[in-house]
Amino acid sequence: MISRKLKVIRKTWYTQEIFGFEFDYPGIHPMPGQFFQIQVDEGIDPFLNRPISVASYKATRLLLIIKVVGRGTRMLGEKSTGEDVTIFGPFGKRFNPRKKKSLLVAGGIGIAPLHFLAEHLYSNKIPFDLVYGVRTTKDFILKKEMRRMCGKSLFVAEQGFARKETAVSVIRRMRMEDYEVVYSCGPKQMLIEMQKLKLPVPVYAFCEDFLGCGCGLCLGCAIMCKHEYKRICVDGPIFELREIDFEV
Amino acid sequence: MKCKIFGLDFKNPVFLASGTFEYGLIYRNVTNKVGAIFTKGITLEPRKGNPPPRIYEAACGLINWVGLENPGVRAFCRDVLPQMKKLKTRIFVNVAGFSPEDFMEIVDELGSRVDGFELNVSCPNVKKGGVAFGRDPEVCAEVVASVRKITKLPVIVKLTANFCDPLIVGQRCVEAGADGLSLINTLHAMAFDVRNKRPLITGGLSGPAIKPFALFCVNRVKDLGVPIIGMGGIMTGRDAYEFLLAGATAVSIGSATLRDPYAPLRIIMELKEFIGN
Repeated sequence: MISRKLKVIRKTWYTQEIFGFEFDYPGIHPMPGQFFQIQVDEGIDPFLNRPISVASYKATRLLLIIKVVGRGTRMLGEKSTGEDVTIFGPFGKRFNPRKKKSLLVAGGIGIAPLHFLAEHLYSNKIPFDLVYGVRTTKDFILKKEMRRMCGKSLFVAEQGFARKETAVSVIRRMRMEDYEVVYSCGPKQMLIEMQKLKLPVPVYAFCEDFLGCGCGLCLGCAIMCKHEYKRICVDGPIFELREIDFEV
Repeated sequence: MKCKIFGLDFKNPVFLASGTFEYGLIYRNVTNKVGAIFTKGITLEPRKGNPPPRIYEAACGLINWVGLENPGVRAFCRDVLPQMKKLKTRIFVNVAGFSPEDFMEIVDELGSRVDGFELNVSCPNVKKGGVAFGRDPEVCAEVVASVRKITKLPVIVKLTANFCDPLIVGQRCVEAGADGLSLINTLHAMAFDVRNKRPLITGGLSGPAIKPFALFCVNRVKDLGVPIIGMGGIMTGRDAYEFLLAGATAVSIGSATLRDPYAPLRIIMELKEFIGN
């Protein structure tokens, strides 16, 4: 792990609350699911760094997509192109996606790490489809980019389309026999509902949480997996969905 | 910045506090540059730790409720210690017992394979022992005396300042045979979820938020005649130097490593500017 002070090469607002930073990052090539810890401010408040998944990495161009959810991410949103940002990483276990026909299931900002996974699958010529659900139609990001890379894609929303749908309600009636593996990233409630579906194929969940250090030092990001606590930051953030006990 | 404390040579007076650098094995290049590492709290039996959420950010710090997750002393000796022995630093094991007998058994199991012990009578995140022991000067003295009987290695007591006077507890520990004191452990803290109107977390507050109080506590115990390891929100060499001015012989870095695992290296450099070599 190396900490780097990087210049924001480009900042893009995708929606009113989602923005992206692009950096030139010549360090270790990240793998899907890996994340960086972004220092919000050089001062001590906010104290902890913010864990942000890699949304894209092409020829040292690193894209981190951030949703404003609180004070820290709001402060990050106030930084502009040309400003310096300190980042640490990449963190998270290096996960090798399966070379099999895949289904990607994204909920909300969960599309960001799945976009990076999609880049990986696409460049390795592994076919995949996408189901992407958001709250309102204004919340979609990276729609065009995803459409370009995937086979079939389905975009659903709870508000804004004639038909009210969620990613899970779509999965419920899909033919899963077409896929050999499912990757899912979204709110905890979505993962819980996905788990209840007991899909007949392996489902990998990209988990998110508040992290302390992001690198295994503090044991702060515990998740119960197969009756023992794992650390989201170094044992994950990708876990087999059926192994997670969300009730703990 | 070489120094001699407890009759041992240290390459510098900057240590890694218990609980915020795991066992020093993840960032070995940092561990190898500090004077000593204090392990995560080790209990007699393995502990899973507390259910999530275990971490919550506070202004200038964080609240943790990890709950002494560790493999237990036997697995620690078998799986972790052999790797730690390859580190180029002094190893102090943070011993977390739930009775005086526990403390003795853990220390006995570790024997002379480490450089010393830090008796954890101040963890705020366990139901038994921990801070409940640390508040009671007589219980602390009993724990120290029982450990003292079975080891000649340095015995340091990690004090709490939660609803008690570290001067009174510290004095009894020194009378019972403690070689040094380390303070402060995290402070009782809570945060609430205003939407659901219930507590989000109850745990221990650390980070720069507690630094002024930690300095006060270190200063309060400075005349007890034993080395003091000061800690609480040290982020810079200047912070570390303040602790030395308050009466500490050495300092420990805790929460700073969660923000930047390499912070101890910077702090060592900065402290050198203040005190020379």
